[in-house]
Amino acid sequence: MIRPTLRTITGRRGSFRGGGLVILAGVFLVIVVLLVVNELRPVRNPSIGGQPMLDGVGGVVWALGIVIGILVGALAGSYDVAQGTMRYLVLTGVGRVRLYAARTIALVAAIGLLLLPALAIGIVAVLVLPSDPNDEVTVGELADVVWTAVVWPLVFALIAMGIGSVLRSNGAAIAISLLFAFAASPILTLIGAWKETLGDLMLLPALDRLTGGESSVAIPLASLAVVVWVAGPLLLGLGRHLRDEY
Amino acid sequence: MSEADPIIRLDGVTKRFGSKVAVSDVSFDVGRGRCLGWLGPNGSGKTTLIRCMLGLARVTSGTIQVRGHAIPAEAGSALERVGGIVEEPRFYPYLTGRGNLEVWAGLVGDGARERIAPALERVGLAADGERRVKQYSMGMRQRLGVARSLLGDPELLILDEPSNGLDPSGMADFRAMIRSFVEEDGRTVFISSHLLGEVEKIADDIAIVHEGRLVLHGTVDELVAAGRQGIRLRVDDAERAVSILQGLRFVTRVERRGDGELGVTLERHDDAAAIAVTRALVVAGVGVAELARERATLEERFLQITGRSAADEPR
Repeated sequence: MIRPTLRTITGRRGSFRGGGLVILAGVFLVIVVLLVVNELRPVRNPSIGGQPMLDGVGGVVWALGIVIGILVGALAGSYDVAQGTMRYLVLTGVGRVRLYAARTIALVAAIGLLLLPALAIGIVAVLVLPSDPNDEVTVGELADVVWTAVVWPLVFALIAMGIGSVLRSNGAAIAISLLFAFAASPILTLIGAWKETLGDLMLLPALDRLTGGESSVAIPLASLAVVVWVAGPLLLGLGRHLRDEY
Repeated sequence: MSEADPIIRLDGVTKRFGSKVAVSDVSFDVGRGRCLGWLGPNGSGKTTLIRCMLGLARVTSGTIQVRGHAIPAEAGSALERVGGIVEEPRFYPYLTGRGNLEVWAGLVGDGARERIAPALERVGLAADGERRVKQYSMGMRQRLGVARSLLGDPELLILDEPSNGLDPSGMADFRAMIRSFVEEDGRTVFISSHLLGEVEKIADDIAIVHEGRLVLHGTVDELVAAGRQGIRLRVDDAERAVSILQGLRFVTRVERRGDGELGVTLERHDDAAAIAVTRALVVAGVGVAELARERATLEERFLQITGRSAADEPR
């Protein structure tokens, strides 16, 4: 059940395939930029691979991954209802909870597939291209960057899927999900200025804590906060999916 | 459940949207291995009832059983061997026809994947299976919708306006295909359509819904036979023929249609009545050039029952 659902997500040219290419292009751009600056000013920029490449690739995959993850996630939530295919999914006799669960798991897999090529090429570039000994990268540093570059897009994709499932309209789902990620979440983070612990449990600080950021909040609590932030929209989406008539 | 049990049983089904009653107290059974035409004017509740039967919408009151299972409580078991098209078939346009069927086969399971090729073959899309659905015409999507319905080897096919978008030759093929589902496969087909002439050729039974209420349910023959029965005549002296025919006891209505043609409505529709009409005219010296039996078409009966003018009705 997950495989066919995954196929409906990864088959979308605009969001998934196009998005994957954009992330790949971002990684290649980082490689080209580092090659050029190394060529132009080798003393000041002695490394092409190693730490500079890791920072560049990690940053590009993280940033573009969040945006593309939101597009893919929002459509995973809204597309079937907006397109009218949902009624035919329900008509298969597969329970609605199972359909929703399959879509959620398929989205997780899709985000992995979306980021995998760019991360793989980036890691190869980090390890293979020449770098100064001072810029060498440890396995732990590599793992941290990969973890950050995967978790942030995944979290925002899942939240976007919940929003998409509630709104049932592709355009609205994408717009609201982007607004949530780039406007509402930063604004909510400002709560930290009022009450620090509560502020640390907002999505962005909690995610930051999970991916290596410093905070007074323990990692398990930050993890719980992220789970709640993700589960909230997903459960709202499930509620709508169970209640809706198609 | 036994073969004699109905495949669909509706009992007092009512569906309201706020204060609007879309379906009102509808009760009837659909027998196995039959094709039932589900007819009604636009907005009469046809699609709403279909959605309720398929577990896509909840009834306000009443009960629905499909294949002996209550809907929606046992929808999973009920829909296991039910295929359907509701309003119009929808697909993932960026996948091929075959790719779409593979997605649904993956959800249906239980040998559905092996049915993809035969299903495409059966609906005449074997050569187009590798094209993206966004390149399909409406008629091709309809046929792909039927192919998808076949993936679960359904006992029951519920098809809502399935012949939309088909050209005349496609329509004839489609009609033959639907009949083959019933006659060769032994499936039950519940078909809703605006094309009354098509339904008359496909269906064994008819149910007519009007303003949410079931107003008639029976076989096509019963339905049509209960309508106007008569003969059409072409004579050499229409005026004289009218006065003679109006004097006959079993003639209920004589209608002049111009150019010597008359429509005669009879109390009974047998050979004796036709012979008596001919004899009365000939004995009175009226020449009869042509005589043919006429009976109400399904469309006429439909308009009669739903009490609406032809101009309001779908063709």
